[in-house]
Amino acid sequence: AGCTIRAFAWHPHTSKFAVALLDDSIRVYNSNSATIPSLKHRLQRNMAAMAWKPLCASILAVACQSCVLVWHLDPTSLSTRPSSGCAQVLSYPGHSPVTSLAWAPSGELLLSASPVNTAMLVWDVSTENCVQLQWFGGGGVTYLAWSPDGSKVLAATPSAVFRVWEAQMWTCERWPTIKGRCQTGCWSPDGSRLLFTVLGESVIYSLSFSEYRGEMQGQVGGSKTASIVADLSETTFETLYGDERIGGEVHSMVWDPTGERLAVIIRGHADAPGSQTVIAVFRTRNSPVFELLPCGFLRGERGAQPQLIAFHPCFKKGALLTVCWSTGKISHVPFFFVSAHVPCASPSHSPVTVMASASVREQPLFSEL
Amino acid sequence: FILDSFNDLYSSYVIFCILLISVVILVISIFNVEFYAVVPSIPCSRLALIGKIIHPQQVIHSVVHAVMGMLVAWCAAVMTKGKFQFLAVPCTPSESLDNAAPQMCLNEYHLFFLLSGAFMGYSYSLLYLINNMNYLPFPIIQQYKYLRFRRSLPLLVKHSCVESLYFVRNFCVAYYFFGYIPKVWISTTMDLHIDSKLHPLDTLTGLLDLSLFYHAWLCGVFLLITWYIAWLLFKIYATETHHFPVQPTFAEETDQCLPKILNSNPPLVIKFLALQDLMLLSQYSPVRRQEVFSLSQPGGHPHNWTAISRECLSLLSDLTQRLITQQEAAAANGRAKQPAGELKVSPQTPGAVVTEDMSFQSQRSNIVPRASMSSLVKSSLMPLKTLPGSDVGSPFSSPALNCKMGILDVNSPWHGSAQSPHLIRRGPKLWTSGSDLQTDGSQHESFPMLSAARVGSEAVQPSFIYTWLQNKEEQIKNFLSKRVLIMYFFSKHPEASIQAVFSDAQMHIWALEGLSHLVAASFTEDRFGVVQTTLPAILNTLLTLQEVVDRHFKLPHVSSKPPRISGSLADTSYKTLRFALRASLKTALYRITTVFGEHLNAVQVSAEHKKRLQQFLEYKE
Repeated sequence: AGCTIRAFAWHPHTSKFAVALLDDSIRVYNSNSATIPSLKHRLQRNMAAMAWKPLCASILAVACQSCVLVWHLDPTSLSTRPSSGCAQVLSYPGHSPVTSLAWAPSGELLLSASPVNTAMLVWDVSTENCVQLQWFGGGGVTYLAWSPDGSKVLAATPSAVFRVWEAQMWTCERWPTIKGRCQTGCWSPDGSRLLFTVLGESVIYSLSFSEYRGEMQGQVGGSKTASIVADLSETTFETLYGDERIGGEVHSMVWDPTGERLAVIIRGHADAPGSQTVIAVFRTRNSPVFELLPCGFLRGERGAQPQLIAFHPCFKKGALLTVCWSTGKISHVPFFFVSAHVPCASPSHSPVTVMASASVREQPLFSEL
Repeated sequence: FILDSFNDLYSSYVIFCILLISVVILVISIFNVEFYAVVPSIPCSRLALIGKIIHPQQVIHSVVHAVMGMLVAWCAAVMTKGKFQFLAVPCTPSESLDNAAPQMCLNEYHLFFLLSGAFMGYSYSLLYLINNMNYLPFPIIQQYKYLRFRRSLPLLVKHSCVESLYFVRNFCVAYYFFGYIPKVWISTTMDLHIDSKLHPLDTLTGLLDLSLFYHAWLCGVFLLITWYIAWLLFKIYATETHHFPVQPTFAEETDQCLPKILNSNPPLVIKFLALQDLMLLSQYSPVRRQEVFSLSQPGGHPHNWTAISRECLSLLSDLTQRLITQQEAAAANGRAKQPAGELKVSPQTPGAVVTEDMSFQSQRSNIVPRASMSSLVKSSLMPLKTLPGSDVGSPFSSPALNCKMGILDVNSPWHGSAQSPHLIRRGPKLWTSGSDLQTDGSQHESFPMLSAARVGSEAVQPSFIYTWLQNKEEQIKNFLSKRVLIMYFFSKHPEASIQAVFSDAQMHIWALEGLSHLVAASFTEDRFGVVQTTLPAILNTLLTLQEVVDRHFKLPHVSSKPPRISGSLADTSYKTLRFALRASLKTALYRITTVFGEHLNAVQVSAEHKKRLQQFLEYKE
């Protein structure tokens, strides 16, 4: 609300990202080139989500009001206004507004979902064929997340239930939550753990899944119950500047692709005095044992609330968190560390530099509107 | 009411009817099994389509379906009771009864019902053929059979209702015109009288009977639903994934194991299932992948991997060859895209007229040199305004007319059928060289003589051309009118021809996906390095295929998507297979480059391919 940035998406393999703006246009920023293509289409309205196709140079799927637009951009072109002919329109009767999109990590299928349609569509984009996965009751889908290993998909609904689908035979498991709907969720890189939060509660739950083997066809393999791994209720921190009250409900959560850092937007209670919206960063580890340790907080300029967060998919030196603020600024926060998976000669703990706003790219990246 | 209907159910003739309907379903299923095809046969020209319809197999198909339709209608009529039940009913008694025994009259309603059943059976068979419903599309995601069936059921029911409506309407029209033929025939053979008291059905007032319409429609819905369900169930069971063992554990299974099946020449559906299984195992099954990467016990040879990779690579090279041949054929014509792959012997036209080896992309330049010719003969052709016997409105003749007038209307505004760019190019050439006849793919041998004569004439100085052409005018007129019809039948529909080239591309798509997933997985899972030795060959094949496919997509019509018809039962995914092939080829290459990264620079590939690989590594492709 009040933010000019609608959606944000990093390209999975290069330093390129797309920003969807309030005026129904999309800008693609590339750290290797100075041209900023701006994408416009007459059907591109009320965009809610964007996703780049994995294993591809530049194909971007955009969830619009009435359809899904798939832009086929030329990665070497220098034009700033790609024609609408590059966009493929995928529409299905009754499937609008489309609010969530997820590409399969192997790059072949696109999932699209809408909160008013009790069916998820699995698209084969090149032939424009789709298969409907239907269920009864519970409303549509409000949040969609595909696990990075390609085996499971989380689909959260507006009611107090969410589903985890397995992506081989497309069967699902229903998980009723107690209080409210699943607000957000993220997968560990190997797909064995799902962290999710529930609207109205200020805790992070964890659900573990058995490792996917080919013999387990048709089973999602989730454990019996979810466990609470972090309590984010409001506490008071004493800092140099006085008491800070931080804590509350989780707005969104992202896990970095190496599985080492977790970033959570925590929104304080709106009516409590001094409440603020901050980003909490946790240090995590998934194997051999799941570990979640608080690391620090990120805060923007005065009056700027974080709206969207995303980790860079292939930052070599650690993790790069991109934050889109309500003022329309985008900042990149680097975390320099040596990943626990990469064998190194001497173990060293990473110094976490938490900065309010820092830019790692050659060009400052602001969207000024 | 319920008790009554239960009682009815137990009566003997109802059981007999149910038995009969099951026999009908059985026969239909047998036909489904006999006629299915995993690779659709796409008729490229109208003549091919007509040939398909009058093929004896298809005729048997239609006749049997018509008979089955009649049987089902008879069962339905009998079970409904009421006025439809019997073919012969006692006539309504007239006032003056000469004889005591009432005569038997033809129950026209019953006859109408039977004939409508036969008509629906025949239309079903015709639509089956035209919509390529014998094509077995493989689903894009795997799902349990029951879920697939349940998912398709609502669309099937809705489609049957709508289609039945159309059939009944068509049948009413047919009956109105031709209904008296069977009526008269049955009444004479079975010695029944036509009841003069009742309205005959083949009049407008007779046909506007709502209850008759409703009953016929209901019978049609029942027939279509049962037949479509049989077809759907067959499709679901036939395209179910089959698990082929990679390493045979028992000696009897050696013939069934995946490498063996891929290398031999099995029936096409088995090959499709094997490739689909390869695609699935490469993505989802680490255990079976290990079997693929394993070495044989005493010798240490990677038999499994060699067999699988050899088969996939040979499939892909096959496709590359096919596409190259087509492209060469298209380039050799120099004109309208002829994707049939026939190499035409283009007559050497001397003079300033267009040269044959101009590529298809320079069609406009084809027309410009001809313009010089046209101005020369324009004056001589002016008196000739009309051509008898040729329909001016049809798109085939108008270019002929235009060029007869010497008008080179390249952008003729007739409706944009897929043929029109084809024809625009053909128009101006019709009268300059007779080789156009050969570009239709037509097979008449009489015309080469004419074309040779015409070609010879063009070599003569311009002053002779006027008189000579005027003499030939009559001949051309006659030939032209005949040619329109021949062109109509023999001209190849470009979109259909393109689809025909890629009709079995599903195999190649699966081969690509399976191969690339296995190579990507081998980066971490291959313990003996069996994949690394074949990596140069794989990369070469993939890159060559990618080049050829990219070039192929530059041909006209190939990159335009056919219009989507949603809401129909028939699966038209074979029409867009080429796009899926191109996308999965690119994804396969990116998969390999993403996993291997900079290590790919150590693989031995040609310099040109190295450059392309670099493009892929930088995500610039």
